[in-house]
Amino acid sequence: MNCKMEPIQREQIIAKYLSRSLDADAVEEFEGHYLGCDECFDELRVSEILAADLRSSSLTPSNLAWKSTGGVSVLRFRASAELTHAANTLDELRREVLEQADSRVIIDLGRVTRIDSAGLGQLMSCYSHLVRNQGSLKVLNPTPEIRKLLDMTGISTLIPAFNDEQDAVKSFTN
Amino acid sequence: MDLSEPSLERLRLKLRYKVLYHVGHGCADVDDLVQESLARFIRAEQKQQIRNTEEFGAFLNGVCRNVILEYRRRMRREPNLDQDMPIPDAGIRPEAEILEMRDAIDSGLAELAERDRAILRALYLEGKEKDEICREWNMSDSQFRVVLFRAKERFRRAYGNR
Repeated sequence: MNCKMEPIQREQIIAKYLSRSLDADAVEEFEGHYLGCDECFDELRVSEILAADLRSSSLTPSNLAWKSTGGVSVLRFRASAELTHAANTLDELRREVLEQADSRVIIDLGRVTRIDSAGLGQLMSCYSHLVRNQGSLKVLNPTPEIRKLLDMTGISTLIPAFNDEQDAVKSFTN
Repeated sequence: MDLSEPSLERLRLKLRYKVLYHVGHGCADVDDLVQESLARFIRAEQKQQIRNTEEFGAFLNGVCRNVILEYRRRMRREPNLDQDMPIPDAGIRPEAEILEMRDAIDSGLAELAERDRAILRALYLEGKEKDEICREWNMSDSQFRVVLFRAKERFRRAYGNR
């Protein structure tokens, strides 16, 4: 990162930082830079305002709700949802997981009716973020079809699935 | 190194931004983490432990990262006593500062054409690459640059008038 770089290139780094799609090393590098550079920090703030406003202008009521149980954060869907390439829920899910403080998270998939490769990718992206922050991710109540998909892809070895919330919470301490 | 009160205030603002990015807006200990990072940084500076003062941002970033990691470990050992307390709805959490600028921002956004808004949404919210956006919207680099910097200029004014 260098503030003398091409402005569009810098703006792309800022945009990726704001949408949390920069990899961990690039985040470190960018943060190390803006902590020492007023110009880039101001650009980041201006872009953040712009992004916040774009987000609020396209917001629909959230389908996601959090609760905390036994020191673990549980994310639930208020209504049935699809975790697919075409669904808005995907971005919302990623943002919710990445923006909250706890790194021990359970996602209740009880109301998720369908998941595709984009949805599985997003689960893995949440998992990587939480593991980087010394936490972990578990899923709760997947339908038999989704559970089969998690097993087939090997994702269930990293993100175990549970049918009981207490079992899922306890698994963080085992 | 300049450690005057205005400079420290500026560093505090930047650290707060970084800490919020990593622990989220729901964390009640943000200010403590910022203060601890700043205190460690000042102590290191006084002991002349910062070798390259020109690149102090990277050093401060490392200090702050360690403070956040220690905080996460501590929270894991000593979780909240009130464990079943629901977390406030996490749907919309604009920063107070952004809300204060709402009027200026609204007028900024209202001036943008829907096409420009869609292009900006692709960049800032969907994380798309510039080349991909240009391809999708059939526009050149310089057209993209105009859309981007025209929008940023509007919001820069809102930020500057704060």
